[in-house]
Amino acid sequence: MSDIDIKRISYLAKLKLPSEKEEFYSNSLKDIIKWVDNLKKVDTSKTEPLHNVTEKTVSIRNDEVSKSNSVDDVLSNAPERAQNFFKVPKVVE
Amino acid sequence: MSNNWEMVIGLEVHAQLKTSSKLFSSSPNQFGSDPNENVNFIDSGMPGMLPVMNFGCIEMAIKTGYALNFNINKHSVFERKNYFYPDLPQGYQISQFEFPILSEGYINIETGDNQKKIRIERAHLEQDAGKSIHDIDPKYSFIDLNRVGTPLLEIVSYPDLSSADEVINYISSLRQLLMYIDVCDGNMQEGSLRADVNLSVRKKGQELGTRCEIKNLNSFKFIKQAIEYEFQRQINIIDGGGEIEQNTMLFDTSTGETRAMRSKEFSHDYRYFPDPDLLPVNLSQEQIDKIKPLVGELPQDKFNKYLDNYSLDKDIAKIIIAEKQNANLFEKMISESTVKPKFIAAWLVGDIFAFIKENNLEVNSLNDKTKDITDLLRLISDDVISNKAGKEILPKVLNGEGKPSELVKELGLEQVSDSGELEKVIDEALVGEEENILKFQGGSDRVLGYFVGKCLKATKGKGNPKLINKILLERLKK
Repeated sequence: MSDIDIKRISYLAKLKLPSEKEEFYSNSLKDIIKWVDNLKKVDTSKTEPLHNVTEKTVSIRNDEVSKSNSVDDVLSNAPERAQNFFKVPKVVE
Repeated sequence: MSNNWEMVIGLEVHAQLKTSSKLFSSSPNQFGSDPNENVNFIDSGMPGMLPVMNFGCIEMAIKTGYALNFNINKHSVFERKNYFYPDLPQGYQISQFEFPILSEGYINIETGDNQKKIRIERAHLEQDAGKSIHDIDPKYSFIDLNRVGTPLLEIVSYPDLSSADEVINYISSLRQLLMYIDVCDGNMQEGSLRADVNLSVRKKGQELGTRCEIKNLNSFKFIKQAIEYEFQRQINIIDGGGEIEQNTMLFDTSTGETRAMRSKEFSHDYRYFPDPDLLPVNLSQEQIDKIKPLVGELPQDKFNKYLDNYSLDKDIAKIIIAEKQNANLFEKMISESTVKPKFIAAWLVGDIFAFIKENNLEVNSLNDKTKDITDLLRLISDDVISNKAGKEILPKVLNGEGKPSELVKELGLEQVSDSGELEKVIDEALVGEEENILKFQGGSDRVLGYFVGKCLKATKGKGNPKLINKILLERLKK
């Protein structure tokens, strides 16, 4: 099994990991992967990949507009708002 | 020197589909609304909300498939592309990855006098993200989610393009086609059509180099500038003994330079996987076939028709097919009148387009004036008024100042085509011109022009020049 880059994973997950916990989480993740790796024991060389457990096709709707809520509804959980914008700590690329 | 270098370019063009509602929600798909006006709980990524596929988007994708010579795939799959950004509240973009709805298409572009086939690898449906505004507050970003969930068709070409001009031709042709089949409004300023440019350089005939991607260009001017800058930048690095790093670049419109995005140390790890909220799209052949007639005539079809049926010149036909609204206006006038199409076309690309340009109008805005325009053209082609008088009246007709026949009367521009009356004028004009008459009979054609001018002047420009010419010749040859 390949090694786990715990720093990179915590970056991708946007989680701050104290350095003393890195080894613990690294090992936990390794255990999980080892367990999931059991799946590799199954021979899938002759099996088509399955994208969904049902054989059905996506359910569709017609291209019609309906409005179900107000701007205030959408902004009601925002940590901060300014006029009708969500206000978040600056993120600039 | 850049002489022995060449650029290799592939493009990702994002076209916003002009549906009424969004890809997976029934919020309005509309530009220019107040902030967060077109946002519901699906768009804002509230827990437990489920996306529902808008069939209008599939329909538009299939139309695009026909227009761009794609294989239309009966089976396609939506996947989640995971990344964190405040204007992407779900935490992932729903896109198609392994199984796009369209694959292996192409279009032909013109390069000089030749055509070049540009192969297109794939086109897939995906959601647009929202907008972050950074310049209102020094410490905060303001987020507007109106654009979240807007349907995009991402059209990915093979690296078949080799100059900025080819790129611009390719995007113009794509834009023209998408507008013809009515799936995209083509408004680049509003971001309805944007391009990411993948560019690498190589010495002629050598292997492909490492490419850089320039993100989010939304005008032909910037695309050209960015390509030329990036081409030179890469050559300079290699000439200086360096190597090109595979990077995502931003184009700074104020300096005309490209620069690498800051987060390059973590090239994205999108962790695609099939979206468990959405079943695969499985289309039947019947569903696909049913959409074919909606594609309508494509620019090339119209071009051939104009040449074959209406005997237009190539250059004039090209101007008319350039935009669908030109072609619509032209065909409306043909269907409403018996004036020769060739005559209509000449006036359309001449004085009528000049008027539109001068007054900053949309071609569409003349759609309700076609009857008046063709009435005026009828008066000109029937010699009721002169060409010159026609040019004088046209702007008034286009401004809706009156009916052509009324304007002709009002301004006294009716042409004198009564041969009795013209004969009188001509006879008077010839009095005392014995010397010139002899000159003409001696073979000097220039004198004829002099006489025509004299007669026209005598009629205050209203005499029918063709008729004057004819009668004059009869008189002079006696």
